[in-house]
Amino acid sequence: MGVVHGDLMTLNIGPQHPSTHGVLRLKVKTDGEIISEVEPIIGYLHRCFEKHCENVSYEQVIPYTDRCDYIAAMNNNFGYAVTVEELMEIKVPERVEYIRVIVAELNRIASHLLALGAYGLDVGAFTPFLYMFRDRERILDLFETLCGARLLYNYIWVGGVSHDLPPGFIDAVYSFLDYFEPKIEEYNELLTYNKIFIERTGDVGVMPPEVAVSYGVTGPNLRGSGVKWDIRKDEPYSIYDKFDFNIPVGAGKMGTVGDCWDRYFVRMVEMKESVKITRQALKGIPAGDVHQTLPKKIRPPQGSIYKRTESPRGDLAYYIVSDGSPIPYRLKMRSPAFTALSVLGEISQGWMMSDVLVILGSLDIVLGEIDR
Amino acid sequence: MSEDQDKFIADVVEKALQGDMDAINNIEDRVTRSKAKAALVKAKREAKAAATEDTSKSEESKTEESAPVEKSLSEKVAACLNEKFPNSLESEDVNGHIQMKDKNWFEIAQYLRDNLDFLFDSLQCVTGYDFGENEDLEVRYNLHSMTHNHAIEIRIKTDRNNPKVPSVEQVWRIGDWFERETYDMYGIEFEGHSNMTRILCPEDWAGWPLRKDYETQESYHGIVVQKVKDGWE
Repeated sequence: MGVVHGDLMTLNIGPQHPSTHGVLRLKVKTDGEIISEVEPIIGYLHRCFEKHCENVSYEQVIPYTDRCDYIAAMNNNFGYAVTVEELMEIKVPERVEYIRVIVAELNRIASHLLALGAYGLDVGAFTPFLYMFRDRERILDLFETLCGARLLYNYIWVGGVSHDLPPGFIDAVYSFLDYFEPKIEEYNELLTYNKIFIERTGDVGVMPPEVAVSYGVTGPNLRGSGVKWDIRKDEPYSIYDKFDFNIPVGAGKMGTVGDCWDRYFVRMVEMKESVKITRQALKGIPAGDVHQTLPKKIRPPQGSIYKRTESPRGDLAYYIVSDGSPIPYRLKMRSPAFTALSVLGEISQGWMMSDVLVILGSLDIVLGEIDR
Repeated sequence: MSEDQDKFIADVVEKALQGDMDAINNIEDRVTRSKAKAALVKAKREAKAAATEDTSKSEESKTEESAPVEKSLSEKVAACLNEKFPNSLESEDVNGHIQMKDKNWFEIAQYLRDNLDFLFDSLQCVTGYDFGENEDLEVRYNLHSMTHNHAIEIRIKTDRNNPKVPSVEQVWRIGDWFERETYDMYGIEFEGHSNMTRILCPEDWAGWPLRKDYETQESYHGIVVQKVKDGWE
């Protein structure tokens, strides 16, 4: 005889629910308080990104990539620009590479701040959220002086960036970094080593490394499971091979390797590493032009390319097929949050109802990117 | 023709070794240019190896120059598959990707995942592809190995009117969602999949949106779909 089950109850979480981080529905089957099945239902934010791309020119795709992962739009622009440039076999000026790395790392910090702050909210801590948004605001202000937009930047273009850095930008970033670095300790005191927080997240939702790899989970979620894998180090693009930084991995400090706390903490340490990279980039930034001379209409040669970059959520890849015309023949975006969400059903089995949202929050998903 | 080309490549490599990179960079044809670059890298590597070894061995390395260029990973995989699963390759020609038949794809996927030389433990991406109206559809798989840090691309063609490809959901678990997405967009059915339903579009959506001959519905649940005007840019 197998395990005795009570009657399963089906419960819908979402689509409108503050803890689902967007428009997501979870169909949960529970046996009393215990979860026996979770099925994420997605598609509420589907905006036909890939179909749109087959109808607009290569330059016009960039604003669409902004709107996929709206929390880390710079990184999305970056990945797309790098992919098209590699397809066209062009090199961009040195200054552009540095600017791109600076804004991408700042955006990574902003994205992680939102992820961690909202995660605090998920487990019932309201104050850290306010602290982190206060600091994220400073990064958004920096971006506003840079390109006028606070969320959807359209800043990194194929062959360059839209504007050069405004006067005083480098000093402003330096002063932000000086301000921000000690704040990480503050977050740690406030949330990371908080007893209640550890009770809620330590040893909960353990994701073994082989499960993570099989589900294609990448980025901080994979590193939280103890797998040292970062595209910036293992398959360097742009100029990431010039910088010295570490890849933090989960160590099971508060329970088992790959639990929610590990995933959370990897992000916290990653912000420090991003600060490190940004400082190095600010130091080495050369003078020069910020545009590569390109024809008015970009026409990559015939062929296809699959190129991965590291977004704050993991491997962000574009698969582009060009037929030699100014419009992509096929453009597929492999979004890291899509794979991260697919693992939810597997790792939340057997946990309590209240843990599901904790596990979901630890995966740091952005629905705009999942549904595209 | 190819002898001429070989001679030409040897010529420009010689020039490049003496410091004249323009000789290679100015080659018009992309294929020839990349071949020349590969030959240059090889020549440089051999020169380096020769410098470290004693003179008697450097004689040997010179004779080795005529040996075939080292096989790329795709070529190795293709050769291996041809041996293990005869008749599974669509064409022996490997040009950055492996073109396969759908026969045995499930077993081959398992083999690629478990074989110690390859260990493709991660399915990176599944891309649907449409060659155009009245042409075939294709599924493209990007595989990656965390252990060896190498990657290949596998392509499988399928008939437009009855598109069916074996599912690899049980090999890589992410195959589940990736295949559902491809089904949603192209209508390619993955045989053996446990839940072949739409994932991004609503369940009652008509047509396969990313096919090149897709026509937008006129209305959906009473909502009239507005026609996109032609000719705007």
